[in-house]
Amino acid sequence: MSPLPKEEPLIGPGESLERIDATISRVPFFHPAPRFWWINFAVGFVLVMLLMVGVSWLFIKGVGIWGINIPVAWSWAITNFVWWIGIGHAGTFISAILLLLHQNWRTSINRMTEAMTLFAVACAAMFPLLHLGRPQYFYWLIPYPDTMRLWPQWRSPLVWDVFAVSTYGLVSLIFWYIGLLPDLAALRDRAATLPKRRTYGILALGWRGDQRHWRHYEKVYLMLAGLATPLVVSVHSVVSMDFAVGILPGWHSTIFPPYFVAGAIFSGFAMVLTLVVPIRAVYGLKHYITDRHLELMCYVLMATGWVVTYGYFSEYFTAWMSGDRFERYMAMNRIAGPYGVYFWLVLFCNVVVPQTLWWRKLRRAGWYLFFASLLVNLGMWLERFVIVAVSLHRDFVPSAWGMYYPTRWDWAILVGSLGLFLSLMFLFLRFLPAISMTEMKRMFATGEQTR
Amino acid sequence: MKRLPEFAPGADTWPEELSRRQFLELAGGTLALAGLAGCNRQPEKFIVPYVDPPPRELTGGPVFYATAMPWEGYGRGLLARANSGRPTKLEGNPSHPDSLGATDAVTQAGVLSLYDPDRSQAPRRGGEPSNWETFQDEWLARHRELDARGGEGFALLTEPTTSPALLRAIGRLLQRFPRAKWYQHTALFRYDQAGLQEDYDFARADVILGIDADFLLQHPAALRYARAFAGRRRLEKGRADSNRLYMLEATPTISGSMADHRLAVSPRRQRELLAALAAALNHQPLPGDLSAEESRVLRALAADLDASRGRALCIAGPQCDEDIRRWAQALNGRLGAGGATVHFLPAVRSDGDGRAAGGLADLRAALERHEVDLLVVAGSNPVYTAPADLEFAAAIPLARRQIHVGPYVDETAALCEWHLPESHFLEAWGDLRAFDGTVSIVQPLIAPLYQTRSALEYLDFLAYPPGQSGYDLVRATWQEKGGSAAGFEGKWEQWLQAGVMAGTANPPRPGPAARGPLPDLDAAGPESGLSVVLRPDPTVSDGRWSNCPWLQELPKPLSHLVWDNAAFVAPALAAREGWLDGDVLALDAGHGAVEASVRTLPGQAPDCIAVHLGYGRTAAGSVGNGHGFDAYRLRLRDRPWENGAVRIQRLGKQYGLVSTQRHFEMEGREIVKVEEVARVNRGDLPPPAPPHDSLYPPVAYNAHKWGMLIDLASCIGCQACVAACQAENNIPVVGRDQCAREREMHWIRVDTYYEGDAAHPRILHQPVPCQQCENAPCELVCPVAATVHSSEGLNDMVYNRCVGTRFCSNNCPYKVRRFNFLNFQFAEGSPYYLQKNPEVTVRSRGVMEKCTYCVQRIDDGRIAAERENRPLRDGEIRTACQQVCPAEAIVFGDLNDPAARVRARKAEPTHYGLLDDLNTRPRTTYLARLLNPAPEA
Repeated sequence: MSPLPKEEPLIGPGESLERIDATISRVPFFHPAPRFWWINFAVGFVLVMLLMVGVSWLFIKGVGIWGINIPVAWSWAITNFVWWIGIGHAGTFISAILLLLHQNWRTSINRMTEAMTLFAVACAAMFPLLHLGRPQYFYWLIPYPDTMRLWPQWRSPLVWDVFAVSTYGLVSLIFWYIGLLPDLAALRDRAATLPKRRTYGILALGWRGDQRHWRHYEKVYLMLAGLATPLVVSVHSVVSMDFAVGILPGWHSTIFPPYFVAGAIFSGFAMVLTLVVPIRAVYGLKHYITDRHLELMCYVLMATGWVVTYGYFSEYFTAWMSGDRFERYMAMNRIAGPYGVYFWLVLFCNVVVPQTLWWRKLRRAGWYLFFASLLVNLGMWLERFVIVAVSLHRDFVPSAWGMYYPTRWDWAILVGSLGLFLSLMFLFLRFLPAISMTEMKRMFATGEQTR
Repeated sequence: MKRLPEFAPGADTWPEELSRRQFLELAGGTLALAGLAGCNRQPEKFIVPYVDPPPRELTGGPVFYATAMPWEGYGRGLLARANSGRPTKLEGNPSHPDSLGATDAVTQAGVLSLYDPDRSQAPRRGGEPSNWETFQDEWLARHRELDARGGEGFALLTEPTTSPALLRAIGRLLQRFPRAKWYQHTALFRYDQAGLQEDYDFARADVILGIDADFLLQHPAALRYARAFAGRRRLEKGRADSNRLYMLEATPTISGSMADHRLAVSPRRQRELLAALAAALNHQPLPGDLSAEESRVLRALAADLDASRGRALCIAGPQCDEDIRRWAQALNGRLGAGGATVHFLPAVRSDGDGRAAGGLADLRAALERHEVDLLVVAGSNPVYTAPADLEFAAAIPLARRQIHVGPYVDETAALCEWHLPESHFLEAWGDLRAFDGTVSIVQPLIAPLYQTRSALEYLDFLAYPPGQSGYDLVRATWQEKGGSAAGFEGKWEQWLQAGVMAGTANPPRPGPAARGPLPDLDAAGPESGLSVVLRPDPTVSDGRWSNCPWLQELPKPLSHLVWDNAAFVAPALAAREGWLDGDVLALDAGHGAVEASVRTLPGQAPDCIAVHLGYGRTAAGSVGNGHGFDAYRLRLRDRPWENGAVRIQRLGKQYGLVSTQRHFEMEGREIVKVEEVARVNRGDLPPPAPPHDSLYPPVAYNAHKWGMLIDLASCIGCQACVAACQAENNIPVVGRDQCAREREMHWIRVDTYYEGDAAHPRILHQPVPCQQCENAPCELVCPVAATVHSSEGLNDMVYNRCVGTRFCSNNCPYKVRRFNFLNFQFAEGSPYYLQKNPEVTVRSRGVMEKCTYCVQRIDDGRIAAERENRPLRDGEIRTACQQVCPAEAIVFGDLNDPAARVRARKAEPTHYGLLDDLNTRPRTTYLARLLNPAPEA
């Protein structure tokens, strides 16, 4: 690996404090490149409508509209859940862990990735509810004082999930919003019309840039970063226990928590790349999200990619080493069974594709990274499908083996959730500063951009 | 499930001449009725409040009545359960010789057919709804004409029956109309020859040779045979006095699956092998064209038969050619089987009745000669079930008038002038004989649901209008037979209570003297290519059960096919012809091609294709129509069970068949353990493994500790337990499409595995209900505690609490949990609801369900014991699957009771728990399948 190019600054040449504010706030105020925005938002919106139809039909008919069955009682809904939650990991990782590690390059992308986290968690949180046979009783998983004195069954990882995901969602929201406050105030001050001033003003919660404000802000932000850091590790660890606690070959594995966390950051960074590359080009933000940023993200992608690869290796090594007939069959079935093609696709997307990033040229080629990150996203989705469904379809008793085929409703809800994510993301781009103006200015002012 | 028709039959027909006045009348009436419908539906008659109810009705508990159900005309004794006056479940009558307390799967479905919404509910004339009065008026006029001509031109077609009352009614009809003709038709088997029926004694037979004989399922005495046969396979106190079964069969049956040596050979090849066996028995060399496997088996068989004179038995199936059956008889004679393992009983069914004028072919001939003026078809569906070359549908209009009596407006009814709806056996009086002649009175549990009468009543009405009630007719029959009227009431009550008439069993008769040499068997007919063998369907039979959703969805033994029939081909044949599962073949025997989907079946003979009758129906009802293909198109009058002249052509089409099991290999896993009898008897088995350790302290089960044992050595794989469980536990039917999506709901399944060579595989069965694990993986992962452990060790399912995460099913290594993916219950207002067991919750969409060990029966037993202030007796509580099992393969009881049979059974050396290594500690455990191969083979 080449040494970190320290000389290359994190902010492009010719910038000033005023210019930073103006460039970033231009997007919410003046709606540049409207065609790009409208097309993306429209696609997202249509897909949200598809999601609505899918969910309505789901509530009318029941989960039987999907392709799930006995033995494959979990499939796409859970795959989607794990995938979205994974994507949601990059934001907090960037905001909290990199903040604590004083990685200044996080400044240009933390806002967007935090928003991405929120929206991904929103998409993810939808699935555990939708997949219930009787979704109207979802609240039975929450401990509340009810007249029958019934509590959730605490040994079940699904109950841990409720806490893990809701905590994560809440902390991410607060973290994102607190970080937004100085920028909202800046927007309020720059807004041209009264309604905009009022709206941003209300959202800014009376921020006046007082020194006391700043002191509190810094403290809260750091504390939240400290709080969010363990969550990055815990959420996907808990999610992985949905599987690891089960006795099913292919699920019952102690490597799952670190393997899932690494996979989550891996897929999260891939999604960041997918979003950042076109946005920085369209909105002229290349001075703030530089090629060096892309390169740094590629490093994270490669590192986590290797952890994921180790996870794959370890799974098959353990299956072989254990000598357990069921584990061995599961491993062989993944490789050469009816869903074998997905296994090989996973290897291609998650193991082979990141290796191309050893070339510096490719690390800095936006168009390449866009497609490579899409492949990684696909690979990670398939990896979850292989873990969830392919383990289930052939377990212990061969007479009960079966197959899973998705229905159009499975597709509708997966594609619909992508639409929801896209719509929310573009609404965010339209109305809020996609890059933290405050932090960019501070970095510029303190000259930290060259570190 | 399907929706009920919104309008009653005929309601959608526009009256022919509708005047303005009439229209206003109707419109006004509709308005008034619409207003009335808003009120409660009160009965029309004066009603009396329930002030002094009879005590047992007050509790709402179940009441059992002894009755009997027709099985191809023979009686199967039943104890029918009624809840609040609704028949809800049929159990076997322990004192009935052909039930012994068990039933088969078809009998279980008998109760559902009572509530079939497609049953015919009113007489029809020319296809239009009519009423009984119109028919009565018309008949009285016709009756006078007939009377004047002595019944000239009157032809009656029935199925052969054992019912003395029905035979008396037919006799009286023939008396009244001396020139009338009576014909009989069945598409199924005849179980008598020359006025004698062979009855086998499996308890005494050490060596059994079956030739295409499915004596464990397709026989009037199959339940008795299954009991006796399984008794000879059972391990008791570490020893098994096992019989040895050799089977030559064209297509696998459950009887063949129990064989120790089984050869999958076509009927033609069977002849050659039997000739070779004759040679071996005469100590001549075997012909050279036998395969290694065949000569090995035949040599062992010949040696075994020779060594077991007086204890050997040869059974030729009723579909075998006449000469093969004679050959088998001669072999039995030579083996000294007569009087030892084979008894000869007088025929009880009317197939050979001297008063009958013949069969369907004779009727067809009479129709062609225009000798039939009035054709009465009672209880048979010849238009569907006639052999194709008879073209019976074309002959029906040759009669000037036709009357059809049947429970459905079926294919035959559609061609008849009049259709008269027939009562269900649970609605009408009658009587039936068992295979050995034992008489049961068929007593109704419920008044007819619709305007129906029994065939008995119709026949009496036709001869002697206005006719007597079925009750009077049955009593009159037995008053005549019983002699003195004195004491009749007492006897009658006794018969009704016991369900059998004591002392009516026929004593065995001396058999035909068959001492001579084995007759030579001709080489089979001219055909040399692929032949098609036809068999009754194991669930819907000849098509009479087509409209029963339980039986359509009951996995057919061995293939696990549901909702369809198929062209079963051997894997070798499929490989040779390049056929894949689901490829559609056109089968053409010259009477209209049928399109059959290919299904490879290990153990199928390679030189024939097997097809099952009973499908491809067009007028069965909304459940049965349009499934499968009509195999009767391939059936010829002369050789109804095999057709060697069928043109087979692969069409480019695909039709995916649905089976509830998709993988039939064990993949080297110890799912069904197999032991050899000799090894077990030598005491050569390894000691049972000590229980696995656990970090958790052991749970004390102080009161009861329920457990189940399933003996795979006895289980014959008949699927009766699946049907009984469905009936008992309100298990929904999901339909073909949902079965294709692997969402069938049966709480117990009977798995089939084929081991070894696909040409002659070892066929293994394994019933798998919930294993009620002590360390249940499902309980751990449920987030809302909807599946929890009871203090008696049951793994309880709390439907109300279930939110439907399905994690429990994912974590169940046995995959015995079933999920209501959609709303699988019958349409609201369906009469099927009347069958529901009130003791069992009807589950809604989105909840998980599974076997409960019939917890409602456990509670019933506990309550009964508490009321009588005594401990529960072993065997008092029986699960539905245990009660129905003809092979007594399932034992249930309290593991804390030192005298419990289940405990003794679990101490047998072949005992094992399924997937024991997972340390789930299942309460349902198994005894290994026992095989008893010949030592030389």
